Amino acid sequence: MSNPEMAIPITRAPPVAAATAARAPLRTFWGELPRALLLLAGLAALVYAASGDNFSLNILASSFLFAGLASAWNIIGGFGGQFSLAHSVFFAVGAYTTANLYLKLGLSPWLGLVPAFLLAAAVAMLVSWPVFRLRGPFFAIATMAFTEVALAIGNYAEWLTGGTRGLSIPFRLGVGNMIFRDRMSYALLMLGFCALTLIVVVAVHRSRLGYYLQAVRDNEQAARASGVSVLRVKLTGMAISAGLTGIGGGLFFMQVRVADPAALLSLFDFGVKFALIALIGGLGSVYGPVLGALVIIPLESWLRAELGGLLPGANLIVLSLLLIGAALFMKHGIVGLGRGLAARVAAGRSTGDRA
Amino acid sequence: MTALLSVEGLSKRFGGLLAVNDVSFSVAPGELVSIIGPNGAGKTTLFNLLTGQLLPSTGRVRCDGHDITRLSPNRRARLGLGRTFQISQTLTSLTVLENAMVGAFLHHRGLKDAARKAEEALALVGLDHRAGVRAGILTLSERRRLEVARALALEPRIVLLDEVMAGLNPTEVEEIVALVERLNAEGHTFLVIEHNLKVVRRFSRRVIVIERGAMLADGTAAAVLDDPRVVEAYIGRPRAA
Amino acid sequence: MADLANILAVGILLGGTYALVSVGLNLIFGVIRVVNFAQGEFVMLGMYGAYAAYAVLGLDPAVALLVVLPALFVLGAALQRLVLARLRTEPTMQIFATFGLLMLIENAVLAATRGTAYSVPSAVAQASLSVGGVQVGASRLLALAAATLAAAGLGLFLRRTMLGRAIRAVAQDSAAARLMGVDVERIYWLTFGIGTALAGLAGCLLAPIYSLSPQIGTSFILPAFAVVVLGGLGSVLGAYVGGFIVGLTEAFAGYYLDPALKHAVLFAVFIGVLIVRPSGLFGQVGAEEVGLREQS
Repeated sequence: MSNPEMAIPITRAPPVAAATAARAPLRTFWGELPRALLLLAGLAALVYAASGDNFSLNILASSFLFAGLASAWNIIGGFGGQFSLAHSVFFAVGAYTTANLYLKLGLSPWLGLVPAFLLAAAVAMLVSWPVFRLRGPFFAIATMAFTEVALAIGNYAEWLTGGTRGLSIPFRLGVGNMIFRDRMSYALLMLGFCALTLIVVVAVHRSRLGYYLQAVRDNEQAARASGVSVLRVKLTGMAISAGLTGIGGGLFFMQVRVADPAALLSLFDFGVKFALIALIGGLGSVYGPVLGALVIIPLESWLRAELGGLLPGANLIVLSLLLIGAALFMKHGIVGLGRGLAARVAAGRSTGDRA
Repeated sequence: MTALLSVEGLSKRFGGLLAVNDVSFSVAPGELVSIIGPNGAGKTTLFNLLTGQLLPSTGRVRCDGHDITRLSPNRRARLGLGRTFQISQTLTSLTVLENAMVGAFLHHRGLKDAARKAEEALALVGLDHRAGVRAGILTLSERRRLEVARALALEPRIVLLDEVMAGLNPTEVEEIVALVERLNAEGHTFLVIEHNLKVVRRFSRRVIVIERGAMLADGTAAAVLDDPRVVEAYIGRPRAA
Repeated sequence: MADLANILAVGILLGGTYALVSVGLNLIFGVIRVVNFAQGEFVMLGMYGAYAAYAVLGLDPAVALLVVLPALFVLGAALQRLVLARLRTEPTMQIFATFGLLMLIENAVLAATRGTAYSVPSAVAQASLSVGGVQVGASRLLALAAATLAAAGLGLFLRRTMLGRAIRAVAQDSAAARLMGVDVERIYWLTFGIGTALAGLAGCLLAPIYSLSPQIGTSFILPAFAVVVLGGLGSVLGAYVGGFIVGLTEAFAGYYLDPALKHAVLFAVFIGVLIVRPSGLFGQVGAEEVGLREQS
C-alpha cells in the first residue's frame, strides 16, 4: 500500500501556531539517563554526608530500599494502572529464595538475587495471568486475596519459611555473605538497588513497553485497536516489576536476617506501602516514587520515634491521613505539585500563551 | 484476491434477533466505501464484526488475503486494519504525539522512528501543531482527527471509520470530509460507517446500504441514494440534499 | 455422619456471620460502585461500640444497637460526603482512599485502646443448644437469625418503599435516575450510611463471640469480599447465599485439609470464581463491567 513518505501541505495549522506550541523534545533513554544519574549522585552525596551517623545511615538505607520497591511497583501500578496488592508476595518470594539458597546451598546472596528476580517474576506471571482479566478494584481485591493465600502457605511450609517462628540467618561477617558490620555498607547496598531499579524504570518508560503500558492504563480498547496485545504488555510489565521487587526482598532479608511470613507479607508494611509511596511521590511518574520514599520513610521513622511510645499506631494514623489527603487533593503527588508550580511560573512569564 | 477487505455471508445472531444477516461485499485498494443505514439497521454490529469487537455467528472476513474472522482486534491491527471509534477513545493522559506514537510502534520499535512516523501521521490530519498537548484537553473534532492519525500511524492497509462525523458542527464535518477525501486521493483505502446521508453524498463514491441487518443496495452514491428502496428505508426523515 | 452434621452446622453458622458482615458491603458496592476496603473496620467499630455501651452504660450488645447503629450511619454518611463523593470518577483514588480509611480506623482504635483486648459479655453469649448431638452457640445462632432478618428486611425495603426504589433506580442507572428527579447525591450518602449501619449491626451481634482487637476488621474484609463476589455483586440475596458458600467452604476445608490452610483454600476458590465468573454466582452477568465503565 502506498503510504506517502512526505507530509503534504496541511489544511489548518498556521506556522505561527506551530512555533508557539509548547513542545518538549522527545527524550530517549540516553537523553533521560543523565537526569537519573544526577538524582542518584545526589543520593550518594547524602550517604557521604551521613557517614558516621548510624541512625541517619539506617534511615537512608531504608529509604533507598523503599525508593526501589515503590519504583518497581510503579512500573505495573503507575505506568500500567494495575493496582497490585500482591507485591508483598513477590517481595517474600525473593526474600525466601535468596535466604534459602544461602542457608541450604551456601550460595552467596549476591548470586542468589538472580534466582530471586527470576522466581518472583515467574510467580507474578503465573499468578497474574488469570487475574489480569479483572479490572480496577477487582484486580486489587484478587491480588489482596493472593497475599492471604501466600500467608497461609508461608505459615504452613515450615521447611521453607520457618513457619510462624520465622527464618533466621546467622551473623557471619563477609562481603560474600552480604553481611556487614557498618551501616554505611547497607546504605550503599540499598542505593545500588535503588539505582538498578531507577535505571530499569527509565529504560521501560522510554521504550515501546512504557508507552504500551500507559496506553493500556488509559484505554484498553484503544490500545488493542493499535495492535497492542494487552495481556502480554501487562504480563511483561508485571514480570519486570515483580522481579525487581524480589531482588528488594532478598536484600531486605539479608539486612534484617530474621523474619516470619506475617512480617514479610504485611500489607501495611509492604504491599500497600509501595503504592502509598508511589502515590505521594507521583503515580506513574519516573522519579516520583524515589522522592516519595525520601519523604515517607524518614517521616515514618521520625513519627515512630516521637509518637510510637506515646501512642501505638500513631505513625500509621499519620500515614493513613496522608494517604487519604493525597487521594483527595494531591493525585499527582510531589511530582505533580512541582509540575504545577513550574507551569504557573512559566504562565506568569509568557502571558500571551494560550491555555 | 485483489480485494483488501472481503466479507462473505456474514451474520450475527443475538438470541432471536438477527442483527446482521448474510452480508457480503468487498473493498478494493484505493476505494472509499460508505456503509449507511437508518438507526438500528445493524451498522455498528457489522462494524464490530469487522474490527473483532464481536465474533460472527456465520460467515468470513478476510483482510488482504488473511482470514481474520476470529482474530482479536490487536491481531487485526497487525494485519493492516486501522480503525477509529464512534465514542472517541483517546489516551487522555498522553500527549497528542504520544497517542500517535502508540500506533506507530506497531511497525517502528525505536522511539525516534515511532515519533517520526507519528509526526507524519499528525501532519496528515493537521494536528502537528498540537503534538505537545495532552490528548485529554482536545476538542471533539481534534480527538476524531487524532484517532485517524493513530490509525494512519499503524500504516494500515485499510482504515475503518465509525461515524467520525457524529457530534461535529457543519464546519468540522466539512474539515473531516475534506481530510478523508484527501487521504483517499493519496491512496489510503477507507471503509466508512456513516449515519449522515449528506456526508455520504459529499464523498460521492461507492455506497452500501444496510437495512434490518441485510444489504439493501451496493453501488455508486448517486444511484444508491436515489434508489426508491433506500429512500423508503429512510422514510420519516426528509432526504438530505 | 455426626462429623458431617457438625461441619455443616459450623459452616452454616459461620455463613450466617459472614452474610451479616457482607450485606452492607454489597449494598454499597451495588449502589455507589465503590469497593469499600474499610467495611471490616466499620464492623470492628460496631464491636467496640457494643463494648463501650457495656462498659459505660452496662448495656447488653443487643440493646447497644440502638446507639451504635445511628452513630455508624452518621459516620458512613459523613465519609461518603466528605471523601468518596469527591472521587466518583476515579477508581484508583477510591482504592487509595478506602484503604487509607482502613488504616486510619484500625490504628485510631489501636491508639485509643493501646492494644488492650476486650471481650463483651452478653446474656445469650454463654448459652448453647444441643441439636442432635451438635453443639450450637446461641450467639452464632443469633447472628444467623440477624443476617436472615437483615437480608429479608433490606430486600423488602429496597422493593417496597419509595426510598428503596429510588436506591434501586440509582443502582441500575444513576444518570437516568437523576433525570427522573432522584437526588442521586442524597441516595449515595444515605446508602453509604445504611451500609455502614449494617456493618455496625454485625459488629454488635458478633462482639460477644470474638475477642476484640483493632485488627479484627481486616480479618473480616477479605471473607466479606469473597462473599460478595461469590454471591453476586449488588444482589442482596447473593450476599446472603454467598455467606453460606464461604462459611461451608471454610468449614469443609478446615476439616478435610489442614485447618491452617482453610483460608488458602477459601481464597483460592474465591480467586477462581472471580476469574471464571466475575459477576458472581447470582449477580447479573456484566454487572461489574457496567460498574467499572461508569466510573472510568
